[in-house]
Amino acid sequence: MFNHRLLIPALLLTAAPAAALQRSNDHGSAVIIIGQEPATPIPTLLNGSGNIAVSDLLFLRLARPGVGLSTTDERAFEPQLARSWSRRDSLTIVFELDPRARWHDGVAVTAKDVLFSFARMRDSTVDAQRALLLRHLASVTAEGDQRVVMRFRRAYPEQFYDASYHIQLLPAHLVDSIPPGPRFANSDFVKRPVGNGPYRWVRRDPGRQLELAANPAFFLGAPKLDRLVFLAVRDAEAQINLLLDGTADIFEAVPPVSGPVRLAANPAVKLLNIPSLTVLYLLFNQRAPGDRTRAHPILGDVEVRRAIALAIDRLNLARSTYGRFALPANAPVAQAHWTQGVVPKGTAYDPGAARALLASRGWVDRNGDGILEKDGVPLTLRLSIPVTSATRAIMAPQVQEQLRRVGIRVEIDRLDFPVFFERRTNGEFDLDLSAANMDPSPSGIVQSWSCAGRGGSNVGWYCDPGLDSLVDRAISTTGSGGREWHAAYARLQGDVPAVFLASPAWSVAVHSRFRNVSFRPESPYGDLWRWSVDPGRRIARDGTGATPR
Amino acid sequence: MIRWLLRRTLQAAATFAIAVLLLFVLMRLTPGDPLSRLVGDRDVSAAEIQQLRQRYGTGEPLLTQLGAFLAGAARGDLGTSIEHYPDRVTALLAARLPATLLLGGVVLFLNFTVGIWLGVRQAVRRGSRFDRWTGRFALAAYAMPGFWLGLVLVAFLSLRWRLLPSAQMTDPLLPADADALTRGLDILRHLTLPALTLSLTSIALTMRHQRAAMLSVFRLDFVTAARARGLSEKQVRWGHAWRNTLVPMLTLLGLWLPVLVSGSVFVESVFNWPGLGSLAAQAIAARDYPVLLGTAMLVSGAVVLSGLAADLGYVLVDPRVRPS
Repeated sequence: MFNHRLLIPALLLTAAPAAALQRSNDHGSAVIIIGQEPATPIPTLLNGSGNIAVSDLLFLRLARPGVGLSTTDERAFEPQLARSWSRRDSLTIVFELDPRARWHDGVAVTAKDVLFSFARMRDSTVDAQRALLLRHLASVTAEGDQRVVMRFRRAYPEQFYDASYHIQLLPAHLVDSIPPGPRFANSDFVKRPVGNGPYRWVRRDPGRQLELAANPAFFLGAPKLDRLVFLAVRDAEAQINLLLDGTADIFEAVPPVSGPVRLAANPAVKLLNIPSLTVLYLLFNQRAPGDRTRAHPILGDVEVRRAIALAIDRLNLARSTYGRFALPANAPVAQAHWTQGVVPKGTAYDPGAARALLASRGWVDRNGDGILEKDGVPLTLRLSIPVTSATRAIMAPQVQEQLRRVGIRVEIDRLDFPVFFERRTNGEFDLDLSAANMDPSPSGIVQSWSCAGRGGSNVGWYCDPGLDSLVDRAISTTGSGGREWHAAYARLQGDVPAVFLASPAWSVAVHSRFRNVSFRPESPYGDLWRWSVDPGRRIARDGTGATPR
Repeated sequence: MIRWLLRRTLQAAATFAIAVLLLFVLMRLTPGDPLSRLVGDRDVSAAEIQQLRQRYGTGEPLLTQLGAFLAGAARGDLGTSIEHYPDRVTALLAARLPATLLLGGVVLFLNFTVGIWLGVRQAVRRGSRFDRWTGRFALAAYAMPGFWLGLVLVAFLSLRWRLLPSAQMTDPLLPADADALTRGLDILRHLTLPALTLSLTSIALTMRHQRAAMLSVFRLDFVTAARARGLSEKQVRWGHAWRNTLVPMLTLLGLWLPVLVSGSVFVESVFNWPGLGSLAAQAIAARDYPVLLGTAMLVSGAVVLSGLAADLGYVLVDPRVRPS
């Protein structure tokens, strides 16, 4: 058996840091925990939050939404690869590319890259989602190397957002010879991507980590965090342990209940709460479970849905699940959406009114068992939740109890996420505790709440042509569109396709030695290149530069 | 002997083929959609879902999928991962196997050195305080869930006393060009807690088997004869008695060998050890059928080969079981 008295000092000796390299005092390194491994952080291959977070550091857009995340005010956007933009008419936007912008191999970013990237990503066989988002874009042309002209088929306020946000540029000189599909996915470019962002690719160890290094020639300013390491960590305990033992610096998905309590053990880690683009809601299936040709026998009645909305105390539900860091939601609008201010006030908690409404629809407790019946059928509903979501596991029993008080029996199905997803997709549920991670644009509601969204994210099969028309008007109206969005949300509230429960803040743990810390709701690490290290609080690993390759 | 070996090898190959076919069919009968991890809670259109199904071939009929899998497997290609697209399954297995072999190998080594030594010592000092307390301690550790013991060790050795890292296989900031000694010591630091957790929770099995086998051999006449011939107690114990316990210990080793490649799902998860166990767990959670089938094939292959190796071992150490 080994001698532990000899082993432990030997192990401690190996923990000694490598000699730190001399560099500016506010430079450093960051180790970031990420729940989903970023295997392909490449535009057109993006799936999963891990890939999206890393790709934002490698590949820039033409511009990005400003601080308020307005998607309709093009003056509020921040320049990225485009230095400036102007309008020729209501259908045409002209982008002037920043002449300083370079790919990581030193080649200039030109209009050819823009044309190539838009052509590839507007191809529905390559990226069906982006092709749909860019359906109003008629043409993209170049005028010289630095000017790009985009022409739209119709005038609407989010033209600029569509033109600038959905596409991260690919280097035409490296990619145009590679056909899309499996050959691109298995190409050397995907194994060692060359981007144009503040960080460049260093290496990926599958299943372990991905490393990026600062791009010292980044045209908007050299990043001060020289080395970023993304650790792929799935286990919730391991994620927090790695922050507590000092291995990691940043974790973007701290669980709202247990996380802050455990992290208090390490005073060097601070917790930030960032407005999110997420909304939690109790979704009603409009169709009979497993048979979309028939209306749902109970939830097909809008008054029953309204009664359920009245019976749920959303404020308490949000507070008991997220503490102070969530707002009750009244529509599919998150804290960070610019339309948050125009959402009409939602249904107030009123269990008495809920009982009366149910009675008026014939739901009465005739046998005295506390559960309402109609024509001998008890008012029983099945609620699906994924076991992987701690917050939904907390919310579900509360919803169950609140509905029991008005005579509705809820049976909770705690499902493995793939089974939860499958049942949602096939419409095999009555109620479903859903979460939606949305784009900054309020127009994203088309996918979950319009007739056209059926077959995609509209798993409840809700369809109201009146709402579709109002949303279309809000999307296409000139001006801010606030009044139109208000009308659309009011219509949605009246139909009660779901009870919108809460929009949580997003809890991020960050080591307190970092300065200029900011997270963006739509792109968590989009501002990481602006961060620096407090010179007085540098730690051993801040002296280690990127691995030379 | 050669005919026996040939027959036994063919049996092993048939067992493996049946296991793979069963795994393939059962996995696809399991409820759950493999696109779930890719889509998550994002808003998606019907067109995107259709495109993803086409890319990963999950909408194809079962027989078409089976045909494609068998054709690929014949070429040594187990397909492309759904969750880690476009990584090949064989590449993922190759990347994860070393970590699992290292952890499993160290645990196996500890169990079959320390465990055997303790078992023999318990048998020699049967009924003593050492025998009683070692047995109780080992059984208590055996009864503990591995992930729980792992968390307790992390709470004290990593988070309170800061002696060892709480997770990972290497220091994330270790330079890629670090020398072999630095790299080796770094891995040793990270390996200690998971290996300790797995060994503590499993060593009792080896100890109990060894103790029982030694006690049964100690009663036999040849041991008394060896002592009567004036051999030292050490020679009697290790040269005569212990050698005759090799058959039951080989059986146990045969059962343990698959652990070398299967890894431990819970312990690998708690320590974020990048082995096959955690890869399989992720593949189950994501319904990543190609990866799941790849890991399952590796484990079933290891089980079949271990059984074959154990049978060969019996033949080598015990002339009585040699086929005529």
